[in-house]
Amino acid sequence: MFNVTVISQIMWTSLATSSYFVLFALSFALVLKVNKVFNFAQAGMMTAGFYAAYVAVRHLGLPGPAGLVAAVLAGMLAAFVLERFGFRVLRERRASAMFVFIFTLVASQFITYAMTLVFGTWPTTIFESMFWPVKIIGDVAVSAWDVPAIAATLAVLAALWAFLRFTRYGQFMIAVADNSALAELYGIRKDRVLMLTMLIAGAIGGIGMFLYGTRAQVQPAAATELMLFAVAATILGGIGNIWGAALAAVVLGMVQNASILFIPSAWQGFLLFAFLFFAIVLFPSGFHFPESRRALKKMRAAPAANSGKAG
Amino acid sequence: MTQFTPSRRLGLTAALATALLAGTSGLALAQQASYKFGLAMPLTGGQALYGNDQVKAAQWAVDAINAKGGVNGKKLEMIVLDTQADPQVGIQAVNRLISVDKVPAFVTAWSGVVKAVAPIANDNKVVELSVGANAPDISKLGDYVYTTFPLADVDIRAVAQYSAKEMGKKKAAVLFVNNETGIGSAVVYRDTFTKAGGQVVAYESYDQKATDFTGPLLKIRASNPEIIHLQGLVAESPQVIAQARQLGITVPITSYSGVYNPKLIEQLGAAAEGVIATSLAPGVADSPAVAEYVARWQKEVGRAPNGLPYTQYLHDTPYLVAAVFASLDKKGTPVTGEAFRKEMLAIKSFDLPLTGKVEFSDDHTVNKPVYLVEVKGGKWTGKAVVNK
Repeated sequence: MFNVTVISQIMWTSLATSSYFVLFALSFALVLKVNKVFNFAQAGMMTAGFYAAYVAVRHLGLPGPAGLVAAVLAGMLAAFVLERFGFRVLRERRASAMFVFIFTLVASQFITYAMTLVFGTWPTTIFESMFWPVKIIGDVAVSAWDVPAIAATLAVLAALWAFLRFTRYGQFMIAVADNSALAELYGIRKDRVLMLTMLIAGAIGGIGMFLYGTRAQVQPAAATELMLFAVAATILGGIGNIWGAALAAVVLGMVQNASILFIPSAWQGFLLFAFLFFAIVLFPSGFHFPESRRALKKMRAAPAANSGKAG
Repeated sequence: MTQFTPSRRLGLTAALATALLAGTSGLALAQQASYKFGLAMPLTGGQALYGNDQVKAAQWAVDAINAKGGVNGKKLEMIVLDTQADPQVGIQAVNRLISVDKVPAFVTAWSGVVKAVAPIANDNKVVELSVGANAPDISKLGDYVYTTFPLADVDIRAVAQYSAKEMGKKKAAVLFVNNETGIGSAVVYRDTFTKAGGQVVAYESYDQKATDFTGPLLKIRASNPEIIHLQGLVAESPQVIAQARQLGITVPITSYSGVYNPKLIEQLGAAAEGVIATSLAPGVADSPAVAEYVARWQKEVGRAPNGLPYTQYLHDTPYLVAAVFASLDKKGTPVTGEAFRKEMLAIKSFDLPLTGKVEFSDDHTVNKPVYLVEVKGGKWTGKAVVNK
């Protein structure tokens, strides 16, 4: 088992399949960082994205790229509805963080049940065929899905980084994330920024589900399980650090897949939760990479308005 | 009293009473002239999609039996009640069937309900026929509980036997989903295959939530099997097969009824070639009666029934019940649950229109033929029938 072919195959496939996990983790971590919400309703946004792509490609007969656009738009639409009629209303009523969290759980289940009523529980894929042809490159099987999926994820990462770094609204988002009360004092319209964050998260989730749904079967409840992986990555990657969450998603996927070389395969699922357990117990505020210590200091320096998110 | 004209009143009352008596005795006669059995299925709730189609199939059968003269000229009557596939509601329905409708036998499905109502059947000595639930412990629910549906391990045994004996495979790998049915069926496959002279060279499982199967598949590839048995769920099985083929594993892959649907071929294309599945009921290609039955669904309902094999089993149950009633009727035995059970076991083997022969064994299971189907040239084709 311990030969180069096996190890490189596991590494390559883990890297490729971590593409959608990275996107789900980005989406989750971004909302957590800026909106300060553990957004479990993300599963609902993801489900909406998947079924929009499914309807576009399978029922309307549109080409694949149109399916991707449909997934992005549906993810954004679900995000818009959640933010405008959910989170914003709750903010105005000064609902507690716990209440907002419970709302996201309810909203997620609501969307899942609604999709079950429409589409049933029979699992399905975006394209009729889910088999992608394979090229053998140096003993490693590389499927026609792998490279575009990795490329799409890298593109999203680059675009998000550039948006946060170079655009005005990107800067606003960071400002609101750091200290929303202060940002408002400086004239940043918080509601707009929070809406924008949700829309971006919805779009990223939609892209992720498009990637996932072109390779594996999806049913209305599937997104919840996929999202749990994103939650784990976000906690491991350091709460409030979106790049850490993305990296953690890759590492988690690889460790989980490579673990088969050392432990029985039945334990793979257990491993994720073992990691999560120790991460929460040992690093209650997330595992921090050296680079992000500055951010932590900034956070500590910020007034008490921010302290609510530490848990 | 003296003011009354009692004679007139009395006359009227007497006439009324006579009429009433005549009416009820007529009713009683009519009751004796028909044979009743119960059917307790989910007609509402989440499982109604399947339950209603199964009831429809059974109703078609009852109508057909009555159109051909019923039970020796007497009407066969089916009383349908809702269980919502919920044990609590099922208990109410079965209590009503037994105490109000006084049926000697009733049919039900969904393992939760089948198990919950079993004590009622046993206590009242009324036969419970379970049609569709396949948990192995259904054979151990008591003297009055029988299944007409083969339990979980029948098809797994058949496929393992066939691989070792008929296909001559010596080395098999087993890949299964890590849940109760996956683990249980994998053990059955391993034991049967080993007993038949084969060797299990890899025995790997994956988590129910897994989205990638490279690891276990590479382990299996390294073990060089001649055949792979996959015991997965409907949701991930196609992807497991796709990944196996992508990793260059070309040996035949056997599985069970879960993968037997046309979608698998659409989803996998050429990668589906050589996949062998099982079916516990003959398909459209195996039997003209089934082809006719499916055509009737298309014509009258405009679609194929949900869970086709299950509706086939439900469709055939009234025929079994009618055969028992007919035999009792011929002998003039009063119809009780006890007599029904005795007669059913005495007949033992029934030839049914859509599911073929069914034979009750002493251990409360049934032995049924298992249909093996294989993807060949982009189509599901019949491969063999085991336990004919």
